[in-house]
Amino acid sequence: MKTRTLLLGFGLSVVAASAHAADIYGPFPVTLKGYQGEKTNSVSYSGQVARQLLHNSLKKAVSSGASLDEMNSYFNGSDGTLVLLDPKSSDSFKVDVTDINSVSKTNLSGKAYKGIISGWPGNMTGKEALESMISMAAETGGYDAKHGYDYTQLVSKFTMGGVFYHQACDNYLDEKMNADNKPNDKPYKDGAYYTGKEHSWDEAFGYWGAAAHGATMTPKQNYDIAKKKNMRDADANGDGLVNLKSEMNFAHAYYASGFDKGGKTDYYNTITRAFIDGRQVITDANGEKLTDAQRREVKRHARTVCSNWEKVIAEAVFKYAGSVYKNIEAVKATMGGNMWKVSGSSAESEHKAAVKKYAKYWGELAGFSLSLHTGGVNLGEIGVKMDRLVGMGPVMPDGTQVNGMSDGAYSVATGKSLDKFAVHMLKIQKLMADEFDVAAMNNDQISGIANLAEKLGSGTSAEND
Amino acid sequence: MDVLTTIWADLAGQFLDPRKRLFIGYLLASLVIALVWMCLLQRYSPRAALRTFFARDIWASRSSRQDVICFILNRVLFRTLAPVLVTQLAIATLIFHLLHKQDILALGVLESAGYWIAAGTFTIFFFLLDDFSRFALHLALHRIPWLWAFHKFHHSAETLTPLTVTRTHPVEGLLFTMRSSLVQGISIALFVFLFGNQVDLLTVFGVNIFLFAFNALGSNLRHSHVAIRYPAFLERVLMSPAQHQLHHSEATRHYDRNFGVALSVWDRLFGSFHHSVAESMTFGIGHETGRFTRSVWSMYWSPFRDIWSRCRRRLQGGSVSGARLLSSRRDREA
Repeated sequence: MKTRTLLLGFGLSVVAASAHAADIYGPFPVTLKGYQGEKTNSVSYSGQVARQLLHNSLKKAVSSGASLDEMNSYFNGSDGTLVLLDPKSSDSFKVDVTDINSVSKTNLSGKAYKGIISGWPGNMTGKEALESMISMAAETGGYDAKHGYDYTQLVSKFTMGGVFYHQACDNYLDEKMNADNKPNDKPYKDGAYYTGKEHSWDEAFGYWGAAAHGATMTPKQNYDIAKKKNMRDADANGDGLVNLKSEMNFAHAYYASGFDKGGKTDYYNTITRAFIDGRQVITDANGEKLTDAQRREVKRHARTVCSNWEKVIAEAVFKYAGSVYKNIEAVKATMGGNMWKVSGSSAESEHKAAVKKYAKYWGELAGFSLSLHTGGVNLGEIGVKMDRLVGMGPVMPDGTQVNGMSDGAYSVATGKSLDKFAVHMLKIQKLMADEFDVAAMNNDQISGIANLAEKLGSGTSAEND
Repeated sequence: MDVLTTIWADLAGQFLDPRKRLFIGYLLASLVIALVWMCLLQRYSPRAALRTFFARDIWASRSSRQDVICFILNRVLFRTLAPVLVTQLAIATLIFHLLHKQDILALGVLESAGYWIAAGTFTIFFFLLDDFSRFALHLALHRIPWLWAFHKFHHSAETLTPLTVTRTHPVEGLLFTMRSSLVQGISIALFVFLFGNQVDLLTVFGVNIFLFAFNALGSNLRHSHVAIRYPAFLERVLMSPAQHQLHHSEATRHYDRNFGVALSVWDRLFGSFHHSVAESMTFGIGHETGRFTRSVWSMYWSPFRDIWSRCRRRLQGGSVSGARLLSSRRDREA
């Protein structure tokens, strides 16, 4: 482990020589007063990297129809060896981890959001909702065709929000940046070589999921790294392996790079650089308590991180609302104009495939939209509108839609309209555009109208003919 | 002071925005066309042509001075009203949503058509619907008595200058604004629904290509004393300035003719077409002109007073003569 850290430090130094140092997260010196050990780099977020790996593996487990025990081993953690299911080494993308517990022995469940998620059936907390989803995934093999639940997407996207975004923005960058919480003149915990503020900040960065050298690369490079298609750029220290602790892009950082690829946004760099700048302010305090001015500066960087992180999630809501919208039409197309007239085995399988795809996108939409509630910002009316428009489940071709849970089983409303649900998706896109100022606007279904209206100009005039 | 600056900027904007009829470029184009027409076809010397075009008895007439006052008053009024008017965006969004509730047209059914077909058909469709709706509303303004009461405001002009296009009663202005929003809303919603976001408006200098052509080719001469006539075959398709001037003629034989704007085909379809004529005309609303244009206040107020008089007479078992106060233009001909 020590060898790896040294190599990483050396590698990052090499990268730093060719890129601006402010573009790389670490190494930052040990500033803890009275520290006598050998550590020279105070950066540490292996617990968060382990959770990124737990999330990736949990997603893989759900999608492959794994048993409840196996899924829970990733959600709750497990003793012994915990096999990394994703990212796995391949010839073109070699990673340095096979056992998640070798990175850090931890879990996801202990960090999941404990507030009520009113947009999900059953009036559950975030943690309970994830447990329920995993349990239902085990019962259905990952896809509930009756209710239109794609648990792979629901579990994955809501874990990203309900654990990572929540922990970073509602905990580490929020209350742990207060004066008396995890002060900078004390170790984070007894025996630690980093201060309270240093480690709190590092943990938040680990939840963000960006590679330490990610801000030195283009969105396309970062995106390809997350997609395991670019070993060369991922391997910053040139050791022939992608070191998952610092060289990989995960979760929302990956989504940010995907949006930034379009050229209209710069979420990945904005957030990653704010993390680097904030960490520098803490480092510059040199193991003393942060002054009021330093804490204000740190909180300013924290606000940059969280407001942009929220936008990344809102962009995903916007994008998948567009996907759901388009797939409603695809589902309708397989119904031949009448939902009850699907007949013949090929037509039926085509219809089922279309519904499955539609459910997949709805799962992503719901996972991201539920996540928006967990970052410590009370969304108020916006949140209520969003939940109602997304619904507790997709409207199914037979007009049913989950509207709650009773005795552990979903209850459904009937007589719902797919067409009306499609309009809901347009309203969600408008809500994201109006309230979150999304700019990447992937899968945009609404701007065509606004752009044309703008181009035609206002008809307000007193001219006649 | 801020208010005055805003008003001034708004008024100036009418001459600086290529989407507006009174854009300086279109005015200059009209001047050039008029001078060429007068010099080449009517054998005016350039000096005489200029003198005729800018004749003081037209540009400085009482009617033209009223045009200027109405132009300013209407701009102030509409700038104030604009925020509360239903926008084309709201209508387009509503119609777009409603289109999801029908099963005849499928969403994105023409998405594979490609940019040029989508943009081309949208631009043509919008131009045709816009031009037809102008014709239809204009027809209604002449045929429906209470609407004619307001439209008289425009026809009370005794001299025509490009500014006469804005000599409009605010009630009529509201109707034209609603028409515009509705036409834009329908066109945008329908085409985005069928073709997706690739739908675009084909433009020249940011202006609808047809609108640009219409304005650059002398639309401002419709309200002028330069009676440019097109060959007969062309007048059967496009409305010439002289045909619109005939529409303003006081002569009863010209009443309710040529309601069209860019195209004259609508008038042919609805039986109101009239070729331009080589005769001098006087403009106005006959014996009513004097009473109606007694003052600017009278122009704005008279329509309401006339409608009220008619309603009161109706309620009192009114006389025929009272009812005729509000007759349509066609009624007066009869």
